[in-house]
Amino acid sequence: MLHKDKTTDSAVGLDVGTSRICLAQRVGEEYQYETQLNAFVTIPFSKITESVLQKEAVPHSVTGSEIVVHGNESDRFADLLNVETRRTMDKGLLNPAEPSSLEMLRRIMESLLERTTERRRLCFTVPAAPLGAEDNLTYHEATLRQVLSEMGYQVKSINEGLAVVYSELESSNYTGIGISCGGGLCNVCVAYLSVPVLSFSIPRAGDYIDTSAAAITGERANRVRIAKEDSFHFNGHFADKLQQALSVYYDEMIQSLVGGMKQAFSNSRNLPRSNRPLPIVLSGGTALPEGFRARFEKILVEAELPISMADIRMAADPLHTSAKGALVAALADE
Amino acid sequence: MPLNLRNSLESRASRIQDPIERLRYLKSRAARAVAQPAIRRPRKKFPLVCLALVFISLLIPGYQASTGTEQIVPPFPRFQAGAADVYPNVWVVEKRPEFEVYSNGLRIDDRYAVSNQGRLFYPVFQRSAIDPDQPEWRSEPAGIVYHTTESDQVDFEVGQNGELKRIGKDVLTFVRRNRCYHFVIDRFGQVFRVVQESDVANHAGYSVWADDKVVYVNLNGSFLGIAFETQTQRGQDLPSANPAQIRSARTLTEMLRAKYRISASNCVTHAQVSVNPRKMLIGYHTDWAGNFPFMEVGLSDNYIAPPASISAFGFDYDPVFVHATGVRIWQGLALAEDELRAEAIAGGLTVPQYRAILQKKYKQIIETLKAASADQETDHAT
Repeated sequence: MLHKDKTTDSAVGLDVGTSRICLAQRVGEEYQYETQLNAFVTIPFSKITESVLQKEAVPHSVTGSEIVVHGNESDRFADLLNVETRRTMDKGLLNPAEPSSLEMLRRIMESLLERTTERRRLCFTVPAAPLGAEDNLTYHEATLRQVLSEMGYQVKSINEGLAVVYSELESSNYTGIGISCGGGLCNVCVAYLSVPVLSFSIPRAGDYIDTSAAAITGERANRVRIAKEDSFHFNGHFADKLQQALSVYYDEMIQSLVGGMKQAFSNSRNLPRSNRPLPIVLSGGTALPEGFRARFEKILVEAELPISMADIRMAADPLHTSAKGALVAALADE
Repeated sequence: MPLNLRNSLESRASRIQDPIERLRYLKSRAARAVAQPAIRRPRKKFPLVCLALVFISLLIPGYQASTGTEQIVPPFPRFQAGAADVYPNVWVVEKRPEFEVYSNGLRIDDRYAVSNQGRLFYPVFQRSAIDPDQPEWRSEPAGIVYHTTESDQVDFEVGQNGELKRIGKDVLTFVRRNRCYHFVIDRFGQVFRVVQESDVANHAGYSVWADDKVVYVNLNGSFLGIAFETQTQRGQDLPSANPAQIRSARTLTEMLRAKYRISASNCVTHAQVSVNPRKMLIGYHTDWAGNFPFMEVGLSDNYIAPPASISAFGFDYDPVFVHATGVRIWQGLALAEDELRAEAIAGGLTVPQYRAILQKKYKQIIETLKAASADQETDHAT
């Protein structure tokens, strides 16, 4: 857990993603991050297990006849027990199918954030509404706002795509397109001189790739995700069935993303008129595999979008981009 | 939004090194911008306005006319000229009963100085949330309004010295009697103090201006008045000042800015601030409507700043004002219209609905001010 010291700014950025929650703080001139998996796993209660967990300092809680392990350690225990991790969120929002979602989300956030009495500013990310669907974010945003406020913070939210812009596009005066490819959603935001003029999300992202590839290969989605994060890359010749499946579904995800951008840009009358092409920044864990940027660019060029784009690049630190952007927004509000 | 203003905003932002500060700057200027299609306000009354804007846009270097395939530019609701103020260092060198000399060469003749109602407190309203019932009260001058005397003119040549001096004296006598301005700069560039700086002069009448924090209503109390002895010429749209007057205006402006920490963005012309509350039109007075030498006086070009009378209180303008103004002031007017439109959209209102709300707020303020003091429009020359 990060704590405030004498050299730490009072503001905090929090990227609340479907698969991970990332905290950002600025210490001196440096940005520091801490991440927890936004997942948990339950194991049968026994005194021996509990004492081992305590001894190993594994974040957990006891609920009746179960021990709940949450955060980063949940992956390891799920693999040991050969079960799927449970998720507090699904497709960018609180998971309606998970009865413990709110309680577990609170605990994971408490493992990252200390309670404060100083009314520190905290800015957390929220997804944009899915393209073509109604905005259904109110409950999710209000719930997170309440949880974080109860921890003593002055809370505001920021669109995840806009957070990417704030993190990465200072050189173009915060003008351009920020894309965050996460677990549940791909979030896109077009910003113009810091003002978000268009934002939307696509419900195909890392989880879609994992579950689709898992269905083909018979693996658990959790193991697919670990394999994907460890070794997948584009443009390879895969003998391995899992890698082949990942390649297919990655392509499908990128096609969905670019198709969504084309649809949104074509239908929008809000886009800035500019002689200059807009830079694009890609971020998020799902954009990490080697070759992702080139594959995205190829599909984007083929799609012939109605606005001029340039300088498609990866974020400097893709796993922490949104958290940093949220922190920048919080600092700018001070 | 005119392209050159957009570029100006970007240029200013680019000079800010710290990314957080840069974001803060941009958000403060563009925070309430909304990405909505432009509402095309019916302009049956003002076809000339549209025509002039198109023509002026074509004159702006780098401007490219939009095509049918281009998208809508989001407006920038806030633009303030003079992002970073640098205050001159000017001090009194010599002070006698009849004149003062300052370190920047300024000499003020005090022979016509007169007192008037003292400036105790004047109200300002928070720009972010104008509440007619909750003014703040201040006492130091916050800005300068530049005027023209609109007095008789003879040719400026050696053979007319006698007439020039006689007219100048008459003007000063009139200004003194009516407490019209704090300072007059005659045609020889001599600076005369008329109304004491500590007092209110009857120079601005019904007027509105705003900086990035507060809105000023009726500027007699809050702004100092400087008048150039000059006149709008027949057959020529705009008045002008001679080099001696401009030189003196620069040193006088420097001294006042140094003394009262006046922001450059609060140094404006009478045409920019004057309003007609009865008709809810701007530009009741049109002196220095379009060719005030801001740069030569040591200021940034404040004509590009949007008049708060439009964006904060929903004032409009008519063909009389159109005829009286120069090219430069149009940029500010266009920006103010953008602000008004953006705010209306943000509030889910049509522009006429939003304008009506703003006008009501202005009228409430005027009623409050009338109740508090006797703000009167004087019948001085301009």
